[in-house]
Parts: sequence; C-alpha cells; structure tokens
Amino acid sequence: MAHSFPEEVLEHVFSFVHTDKDRNSVSLVCKSWYEVERWSRRRIFIGNCYAASPGILIRRFPEVRSVEIKGKPHFADYNLVPEGWGGYVYPWIVAMARAYPWLEEIRLKRMVVSDEALELVSKSFKNFKVLAMSSCEGFTTDGLAAIASNCNCEFGGNEVKMVYFALSERNLRELDLQECDVDDQSGHWFCHFPDTFTSLVSLNIACIESDVSLPALERLVARCPNLRSLRLNRAVPLERLPNLLCRAPQLVEFGTGAYSAEIRADVFVSLTTAFSGCKYLKGLSGFWNVVPAYIPAVHTLCSGLTCLNLSYANIQTPDLGKLVSLCHNLQRLWVLDFIEDSGLDALAASCKDLRELRVFPSDPFGPEPNVSLTEQGLVSVSEGCPKLESVLYFCRQMSNAALTAIANNRPNLTRFRLCILEPRAPDYLTLEPLDVGFGAIVERCKDLRRLSLSGLLTDRVFQYIGTHGKKIEMLSIAFAGDSDLGLHHVLSGCESLKKLEIRDCPFGDKALLANAPKLETMRSLWMSSCQVSYGACKLLGQKMPRLNVEVIDERGPPTSRSESSFVEKLYIYRTVAGRRMDMPNFIWKIDEDAVFGLS
Amino acid sequence: MFFYVTKMKSYIWVQTADGLIQQVEEEVAMFCPMICREVLQMGMGSSKNYAVSLPQRVNPAILGIILDYCRFHQVSGRSNKERKSFDEKFVRLDTKKLCELTSAADSLQLRPLVDLTSRALARMIEGKTPEEIRETFNLPDDLTEEEKLEPLRNITDDPRIRLLNRLYARKRRELREREQIKNVEVEEEHGDERSVDDLLSFINGGNGDSKGVKGTKTKKKSRRRKDQPRGCSSINENGNHKKDSAVGTFSTKLELDDGDIDEELDPAMEEELDREVEDFARRLNCVWPERMQKILTSSQESRRLLPIPINGTGSLKRYTAKFLLLDMPKGTVLFRNLDDQQASLRHFVSTTPWRSEDLVASKSLRV
Repeated sequence: MAHSFPEEVLEHVFSFVHTDKDRNSVSLVCKSWYEVERWSRRRIFIGNCYAASPGILIRRFPEVRSVEIKGKPHFADYNLVPEGWGGYVYPWIVAMARAYPWLEEIRLKRMVVSDEALELVSKSFKNFKVLAMSSCEGFTTDGLAAIASNCNCEFGGNEVKMVYFALSERNLRELDLQECDVDDQSGHWFCHFPDTFTSLVSLNIACIESDVSLPALERLVARCPNLRSLRLNRAVPLERLPNLLCRAPQLVEFGTGAYSAEIRADVFVSLTTAFSGCKYLKGLSGFWNVVPAYIPAVHTLCSGLTCLNLSYANIQTPDLGKLVSLCHNLQRLWVLDFIEDSGLDALAASCKDLRELRVFPSDPFGPEPNVSLTEQGLVSVSEGCPKLESVLYFCRQMSNAALTAIANNRPNLTRFRLCILEPRAPDYLTLEPLDVGFGAIVERCKDLRRLSLSGLLTDRVFQYIGTHGKKIEMLSIAFAGDSDLGLHHVLSGCESLKKLEIRDCPFGDKALLANAPKLETMRSLWMSSCQVSYGACKLLGQKMPRLNVEVIDERGPPTSRSESSFVEKLYIYRTVAGRRMDMPNFIWKIDEDAVFGLS
Repeated sequence: MFFYVTKMKSYIWVQTADGLIQQVEEEVAMFCPMICREVLQMGMGSSKNYAVSLPQRVNPAILGIILDYCRFHQVSGRSNKERKSFDEKFVRLDTKKLCELTSAADSLQLRPLVDLTSRALARMIEGKTPEEIRETFNLPDDLTEEEKLEPLRNITDDPRIRLLNRLYARKRRELREREQIKNVEVEEEHGDERSVDDLLSFINGGNGDSKGVKGTKTKKKSRRRKDQPRGCSSINENGNHKKDSAVGTFSTKLELDDGDIDEELDPAMEEELDREVEDFARRLNCVWPERMQKILTSSQESRRLLPIPINGTGSLKRYTAKFLLLDMPKGTVLFRNLDDQQASLRHFVSTTPWRSEDLVASKSLRV
C-alpha cells in the first residue's frame, strides 16, 4: 500500500486528521507514516514541559507552526508548588527561535516567562500571530512593551532567506494574559503598539493592575476592524466603556473593567446604548466592584449571551438572579456563591442550554456561611439543565442523597469537581462518608473525564472509582481515604488516568510500588503530605528510568533523614528527556546512581 | 415527420499503464485536468495511435470509477445538495479501493476527488489505534520497540553517547564532591537539551551556559479564584532551605549498564535485584505497625494532617477518631509477602491493555 501511495498524497490525507491523539496514532503505524506525519505536523501540544525537551521537539517535528506548553502541576494554583520549582519557557523560546522562524502561535500555561523570553519572542518569528499565556508569571510590563513594539513590522528581503517570500509581515492577532502574575511597572507598555498595528483580533489584559493609557486604548480599538475579543482590566473606568464599545460594535467577547461609577442617568443611558449596539456579543466578563444600579445596562445583551463570567462580581441575589434568568441561551456560567440556591433555581428554570457551571466561594475562610448556597442549588441545576456536562462547585455541605440525585439527573456529566470547604465533611444529613454519593457519580456518568473529590471519604469511594471510572483522565483527591488500598484501587482500576494529584491522604509506599508500571502510562502524579517514604521513592527512581521521580522537600536533602521518613511532596512524571537541569535546591531527583540535589 | 436530433458524443482515446487502449467520453474525461492538458496542449487523444498515456497509478477499473465521478459532476445543473449526496455514496468503498482511487485521482490532478477520498480515508483513521490502522490499510509493523517510544532512545543506543553519559555522570559526581569540600554554592543551571557537542565541552571543562531566569521578582499575589479552599491548611513556606550543597550519599548502586533496562541482566544481578525487592517489602511490612503507633501517639502529626476546627462542635474529635482508627480490614498489611505483590502486579499487567513499551518497563520489575 505504501509504495503506491506517494508521500504528498499521504500528507494530504493526514491534513484531515486533526486531534493530537489521532496524529500520535498515525505516527506509530509504520516507518513511512511516521516520517510523513512528523514532517506535516503543524501543531504541537506538550502537556508537561519536562516530559520532552526543545531539542527532541525540534528534531522530530521540523515544521511546527503552533506550540502549546504546560509547566507547573495543577496544584500550583493552590500554592502547593514552591516558588522556583521550574517551568521556565526561555530554553524553549531560544530553541524555537533558531528552528522555527515561521512559528505563529505560542500558548503557555503555568510557566515562568521572563522578559528576556518575551523580547526574544517579539523579535524572532516572522509570522507571529498568537501569544496566549494562562496563569504564567515571571515577566514585567517591560516584556509586554517588547511584544507591543514588535507586534507589527515588515521584513525586508535581506532578512528572509527564501527568495520567493519577498516580504513578510508579522501581524500579531492575539495577546491573551489570562490570570497571569505580571510585575506591573506601569501601564506605559501599552503605548508601544505602533500606529500601523491594525491586525488585533483578541486582547485580554484583565490581570494587569496598573492604568493603561485610555486614549491609546481607544485608538487601538478604533483602528483594529477585526477585533473580536476585548477584555479590559479593572483600571478602565465604567464611564469610558461607551466610547470603546462604539468603536468596536463587532465584538463577540467583552470584559468590562470596574463596573462602578457615580450613579448618573447620562452615564447609564450611554452605557445602555453602547451595549445594545453590540449585536454580536456572546460573552461577557469583568464586573469588578459592581454598582447594582448599572446592571440593567447589560440586560439588552442577555438573550444573546452564551458565556457569562461573573467570578469577580459582587452582585447579590435579586439582581444576580434576574440577570441570569434573562440569559436564555447561556451555555457557560461562572459565578460567585452570591447566586445562592434561589439564583440557581432561576438558572435551572431559564437556561436550558447550560453546559458548564462554576460556582466560586465568596468567603472561603469565613467560619460561618455568608450565603444561602447549599447542595440544593446544584441539584436544581442538574434537574433543570439537560445539557449540563461540566461542574465546579464550592459549597459547605453535601449529602449522599444529593450526589445520587445529581448522578441520576445528569449521566452526561464529563467534568465534576466538588469542593466542600471543610475538609472531611461528612454527609450532613446522615453523618456518613460521601462514598456512596461519589460512587453514584462515577457509576452513572460513564463519560466522566475529570473528577475532584472532597468531604469525608473512605477507601470505598476509591473502590467505586477504580471499578467504574474507566474514562477518568484527571483525578484530584484531598483529605480522603484510609489506607494504601484507596490509592491502589485508583491506580489499578482507572484505565484512562493521565493526571493524578493527591494531598493530605494516608497513601503510602505499597500502592505506589505495586502499581509502578502504571505511572509510565500517566502524564504525572503529585502527592503532597502523604505517607510515601524516601526509601520507596528511591526504589521507584532506580527501577523506572523513564520516570522522573522528584522529591520536593524544603527541610533539606532526603538523605539526611531516614529511609522510612515521609517526603513532603512528590512529583512523578514520565519523560523522554531524562533528568531536568533546572531544579532548585529543594528538589531532589531520584536517579539510578544517586540522589542529585543541586544541578 | 419528426427528426430526432441526437447530439454526437465525441470520444477520445486513452491508454492505461497495462497497455489497454480504449475510448472514453471526451466531455467526461476532460474533467480531469491532466487529460485536459494532454488533449488541448499536446494534441493527444484523437486517435488510437495517439492515445493519451494515463499515469501508472490509473488502471482500467479505477479509471471507470473516476469517470463515473466526472460524469456526474461535469453536469453543471446539479445542486450542492445533490453533489454532496452523490459524494457521500461515492466514497463507500473498501479501503484498498479508496487508496487506489486517491492515488489515481491525484495523478490525474483531480483535486475535488482527491479531497473527497482523502477525507474519507482520514475518517477511517480517526479513533483507531495504530494496530487497527495497520490492519485497515495492510501496513507493515516495521517500527522497532525503541522507535515507538521516542527518537531519544535511539540516540542513547549509540555507544559513543552511552560512554559520554557515563563520563558525564562521573564528572557531575566529582564536581559535587569538590563542592562539598569547598562549600561553594553552585549556580542554578537552566540549560536544556544538550547536544553531543555540549556534553563534550562540558566534560572537557567548558562552562555550563546558565541562561535562565532568576526566580520571579514579584511577590506572590494571592491567586483569586482557584485559590485557597482546598482545606484550610495553607502551606507554611519557610524559606529554610539550606543552601549547602547536597550530601551525595551513594546508596547501593546497582551496576545496571547505563540504566538500559532492555539489556538482559546476568543471573547474579537478577538475584540481587530480587533480594532487594524482597528485603524492602519485608521492611515495609514490619515497619507498618510501628508507623501506626507513631500516628496514634504523635499529636504533632495529627495536627498537621487535620484542620483546626473553628466552630468547635466536637467534629474534630469525630474526625480524629475515624482517621486514627484507620478503619482497616483484618491483616493490616496490604501484601503479606512479595509473592502477593508480584501476583497483583502480574494481574494488573495482564488485564490492562498495555502498549509495547509498558511491557518492556514491567520486565524490569520481574513480573
């Protein structure tokens, strides 16, 4: 078959094979397919930056145009990963600057990005279009200034090697800083966008604290006719929104700044008019410091909205419920628990197309509940919204009955993350563990891919998960389980498991060692404040050369304590790149030869 | 009297690679750019002697199928819906035919048909495992075990690289020992993938290039959303890490050749391995009850693991009791002996769909 099929034709067939999984399968079929596939791969996803290396990437895929890399483990969001852990993007940028002059897109998540890296990005790629950084840190507004200044320029013939590309233009389309930790020197970087820059399609500066020049912003918005998504930062005052919105009536996604101002009729009117002029708006976000009087200004937009992100909005119940119930076409809602059970009832009644719900806690550390949000709200939504498939829910009480009801109502759930604020909280009605409830979830929801557990849980729940959670790819466990048996059930039963993160559970050596081969089929395992001994880590590191076993221990080298002492944190991941060179001095890589402390 | 005026169909002559010369409808055949060019520019096809020579990939059977396609689509009056419907039915062919068709259509430069068949083939590839794809397309399984993993494996097979790795490891050890003596801080390296040249220069005393990020200058802002509520225990970040160089104790070093687990271990080595694993399991088993004692008596431990109750409803007592009792089944230890452990491991390996490289890894665990 292969001999009669010329490579260009095979490549053409592969151009219709899109997902990473399928392309990976294609590359494993036979030698010739491997070769054709690697030359035609344009888009790469690297889920763990230490699983491969820039050299390996470039050697195998010479013609990449779009790269997505993730760095720190997910638990970094909960401050469990110490500073200096790693995830530096600079080596990748250096290598790609050399090897991929035609790179168009860089997407990063939880990586450390320096100003140097940003400067290099801004200068190296002739056709650069997209820079999207989610939960990244390490850069300042100086780095952003570099991106802005070089976002649009022409290359003369002497810069380009190939003769038939006479001129190429770098036109940045997307600059997305999603929840990044930026060292804010000033908003001056924004003025670095040249006047010739008109290609912007998406801009997200919501995480920037400092003021950005409003005239510069207005001019930018006015001269970019393709602008579809604009998410402002808190510093942009409400009164300036009408000016911006009139210049960009074609917006599909908009994030306001602080949603507060003196209550003035003229401001209200102009705001309402401006919003109603945005006929294509589907997504709204922002809404810091909301003054309730101004909420009705967005009412005209509600029926067209599919995405509403109110996770920073301090809007309270009557206004919130009203707002939400006007959004009949809503598919995704992120909201604070101010929505309360009553608001969720309204949601369930009005938003039949809802696919995703996230409810965040407004006061997670308060001893008493400040809002009337209970498990009932979630049960209502699960009853009323037939398409609901993704849930993230913070609450203070839960019962097995509620979980079972949710499972029965919504067997189509694919993501279920429940965070009961109090660790080890039992079923508040029966005071039993929540094993049965979560068991119902995994049993009924056959396509469940992501699950986060909380509440009082014994090994039983893990038995259910191991038996039924065959499609679970990511599992988060905290303060749960009784013994190694729990971990053993998960590792031996969950066939599709890719990421497992555990904190404060009595899981130890046996389950880990008995299921060691499983670890090579997963992307990573995180265990902190568990009961894994240093000796077990050593054994694992010695026997499994394709795993990096990293012990994170700020008390000093693990060799200074006994073999049976527990390690603080453990991060195990599979890799083809070998030991990493950039570990800080509180991370120890367990190797076959010895323990490598400093790099 | 009625005259029936029939339109005279004109034909052109084509020759397939097998030598067969035949006439085909001109209108239909001209839909193929390659044939069109041969006829118009080269003046071929007007007679048997000057038949258009079709590319090798076009045999008579496939030609027939292609002409069916052309015959339908070259009629201008058809709606998009009709065309789409025809196309959908058209590609319902077996894999072999579909491949031949794609190949042939490509040689005739018939782009729409190439796209159509390519998409159909892509659909046959999607969702399948490599093994299934091989079966579907009758392809050889000619990638080696190592190649299936990643090219890096191939590189470490090179004896020169393996020697370098060994030298590298030795060099690092020496460096560290030297550091211990001098008690000097080693600068963090942020290197990346090292090429052979890099390794060589390092071993020969070259300076590791430390281009990298010095930790962030920013103070850690409290992340808003996904933050805290994973239980109230906030991690106490005491920046107490000793900046002394690590004490490199070299535990019983198994003389595995460069950690290449694919190699066969000699029997003495196997024995030692077995002994170590057994020993370790035994140690785990007898240490376990001791650990339980520790947990039960150590209040400090329990405070670390349990949250401090704020509403003091006595819930802490309840949780503590439940946790400390560790509700464990009779015969606390998970595995009574190594055989149990091996058995469970074996069971796991045999019942889970493994990739080939997983089996290779498990070999090293003596399953």
